[in-house]
Amino acid sequence: MNRLIAAAACAATLASAQAEGGNYAIDPTHTFVSVEVMHFGTSTQRVRFDRKEGRVQFDRTSRSGRVEITIDMASVNSGVAPFDSHLRSKDILDVAEHPTATFVGSRFSFVGDRVTEVAGTLTMRGKTHPVALKATRFNCYLNPIFKREVCGGDFEAVIQRSLWGVDDGLPAVAPDNVRLLVQVEAIKQ
Amino acid sequence: MRQHRGMKPTALLLALVAAGAGAQPTSYVLDPAHSFVHFEVLHFGTSTSSGRFGPIAGVVTLDRGAGRGEVSLRIDTAGVDTGLPVFNARLRQPDLLASTEYPEAYFVARNFRFQGERVAEVRGEFTLRGVSQPLSLHARHFACREDEGTEVCGGDFMGEILRSDFGATYLLPFVADRVRLLVQVEGRRPQPDRR
Repeated sequence: MNRLIAAAACAATLASAQAEGGNYAIDPTHTFVSVEVMHFGTSTQRVRFDRKEGRVQFDRTSRSGRVEITIDMASVNSGVAPFDSHLRSKDILDVAEHPTATFVGSRFSFVGDRVTEVAGTLTMRGKTHPVALKATRFNCYLNPIFKREVCGGDFEAVIQRSLWGVDDGLPAVAPDNVRLLVQVEAIKQ
Repeated sequence: MRQHRGMKPTALLLALVAAGAGAQPTSYVLDPAHSFVHFEVLHFGTSTSSGRFGPIAGVVTLDRGAGRGEVSLRIDTAGVDTGLPVFNARLRQPDLLASTEYPEAYFVARNFRFQGERVAEVRGEFTLRGVSQPLSLHARHFACREDEGTEVCGGDFMGEILRSDFGATYLLPFVADRVRLLVQVEGRRPQPDRR
């Protein structure tokens, strides 16, 4: 038994040594995932997903990375309770059947040290399609509270919701193209 | 109101009434399902932190023919929602929103700029933590439509404040002074009582 624990510890050390660039855990207190939808051609409704978690592996030297963010779809929050219920229903997000959505990004683009795009796939309502999140800003800093490196930025993509079967209210109430906003920070582990 | 030189108040009033004739001002009551303010502020020069106020309450009066308007909005500051209870509680503290002492923020404006029949800019006064400062909101989008037998007008507006102007100074300069306000509004023309 003791040997097993020792082996596990060894493996863990080895795994972290291999990921030279570093592993980062998403900081849920500085990560905001929202969707913006035009309502009847009049005003933009911003809807946020309050519970999310994820991990990032990221190496500026080899210019590679991998990110995985899982979103709890039941945590959808528009500020209007009846609308949230409608969003969770079978008609739209079908949260009972598909409680989470996951973005997996494995193709990182860089300009210098900065990430400019993370391309990957978004799985939602059981369907998987490519999504490329473009960085409108990106930066790393030494966080004085955690005493660790924090990297993050603002990312966005326009996605066609009908691809994932979210076609309620098309096209009059809300158009097919919606803006996905990911404002994210991740702390080096 | 700035008075025209040499014009007596009565004459000015008559002139205004004449100018407004045929173009009726219409009042719109904000729709609580589509009237919110999002704030955005840069955190450690890295990512944007954001949160939502609202639904915001208020009335907008537009005279699109005459190119005039008036707006009065109230924002419940304690109702700030970032999706994180800890963050919400921090924002309500005395060095940020000071929600206990100042439960409401206000935007009052009478200076409207139109492009054709569309509202392009609204200039007025924003009051937060009991401090009033000028604020200009630019329309990124504006439209009116018929909806369930009445007229609805609305749009997306954007403005910027320096939070230090209002005394909200916590974590300056690590969290930026400049705060972007994204205002979504839809106003509904009240339907006449059909009973």
